[in-house]
Amino acid sequence: MSDAPANAGSALPATLSMAAFVVLWAALAAWVAEPITFPGPLRVWEVTVDEAAAGRLFHSMGVTLLRVVAAFVIAMGIGVAFGLVLGRSRVTDRWLNPWLVILVNLPALVVTVLCYIWIGLNEVAAVAAVVINKVPLVTVMVREGARALRPDLDDMARAFRMRPVDRLRHVVLPQMAPYVAGAARAGLSLIWKIVLVVEFLGRSSGVGFQIHLNFQMFRVGHILAYAFAFIVVMLAIEYLILRPWERHANRWRQDGR
Amino acid sequence: MDVEIRAKSFAGKPILGAIRLKLGPGERVAILGPSGIGKTTLLRIIAGLDPDYQGTVAGADRTSVVFQEPTLLPWRSALENITLTTGVAEERTRSLLADVGLAGKEALYPRQLSLGQQRRLALARAFAPEPGTLLMDEPFASLDAETAGRMLDLTATLLDRAGASLIFVTHDPTEATRLGARGLTLRSSPATLVG
Repeated sequence: MSDAPANAGSALPATLSMAAFVVLWAALAAWVAEPITFPGPLRVWEVTVDEAAAGRLFHSMGVTLLRVVAAFVIAMGIGVAFGLVLGRSRVTDRWLNPWLVILVNLPALVVTVLCYIWIGLNEVAAVAAVVINKVPLVTVMVREGARALRPDLDDMARAFRMRPVDRLRHVVLPQMAPYVAGAARAGLSLIWKIVLVVEFLGRSSGVGFQIHLNFQMFRVGHILAYAFAFIVVMLAIEYLILRPWERHANRWRQDGR
Repeated sequence: MDVEIRAKSFAGKPILGAIRLKLGPGERVAILGPSGIGKTTLLRIIAGLDPDYQGTVAGADRTSVVFQEPTLLPWRSALENITLTTGVAEERTRSLLADVGLAGKEALYPRQLSLGQQRRLALARAFAPEPGTLLMDEPFASLDAETAGRMLDLTATLLDRAGASLIFVTHDPTEATRLGARGLTLRSSPATLVG
């Protein structure tokens, strides 16, 4: 890969920066000397290992991850479809844009509480709350992409009488890839945070529930252990799934003649 | 093909007036005229890309278009740019690519080809569905004289072989002559065709 040297060069500052963060945290924790309310990195690591050994960490992360994946897939599907329609049809956009503005600005907490009240304290309400929070953002990002579609390629597809499904797959979606990737990345980080709020407020399992439980017992070490463990999972998704997919989708931009 | 246009306007401003154009099998016609007169507009109507006009276009179901720019899918290979857009089989596509001098370039993406090669790829794509009429919109305008000459010769050879009719938009009468096309000129406002 042509960008390998750049990646190798950028890894060192990032590693040193993270190391500095851990050292600063450890120093601050030692100075505060309150291991219950301000545990150091070593204490958080010990808690993480204990929770993993007890099986609670992986079970909670698995449950939360399932909710994240379900909400992500549904929200991306609906958001991409809406975004495409609104970006391509000015009339529909004029009618539905006010709804979108309201939904984008509706606080996640309000949506969550309303879903729990109207649907009940169950999985459907939990996932629906996350989806309703996320769909407007995906729609707005994808709509921008749909507005920027190349009209000359549209003409070409019509002139050669491409089937609508082929047009979508080979002409429209490849142009949308950067916007969908952006929406997916922004969506993933937003969704997992909303899922934690949803679990915190009304579920009896998952990382959000564990944070709720440990918040009541004032165990900051446990709260940080669960939060950091899930951040690692989200980073793994970013580096092992999203970035390779993006590289694959953008391979045509490389020369390599 | 029988084209009968009564009027075409943009935002209330008349662009094309009464136009009648009949084209027999294998016949070649060049539409000449200055920039902005409405040549591309006329070609877009014939290609079915602009339905907002008064008149009828009959017998245009087997047309193929070569645009001013190559208009290729940058994210698909040279081979896929033909198979995916026209539905033509891979074997015939490889043969077409060889005909236009792109043998061995099947797997390359458009940006890995020179502009001349992209033009030839667009030409191969236009001939792939075995069109009854080929519509060309100033496809050699941005090429140097030598490359444009080679492209004209290649187009003439492929047209002879396919037996397709041609409607060729250009502002250069020598290009029309080189393709053996009968020249018609768009004139005045709204524009009409003069033989």
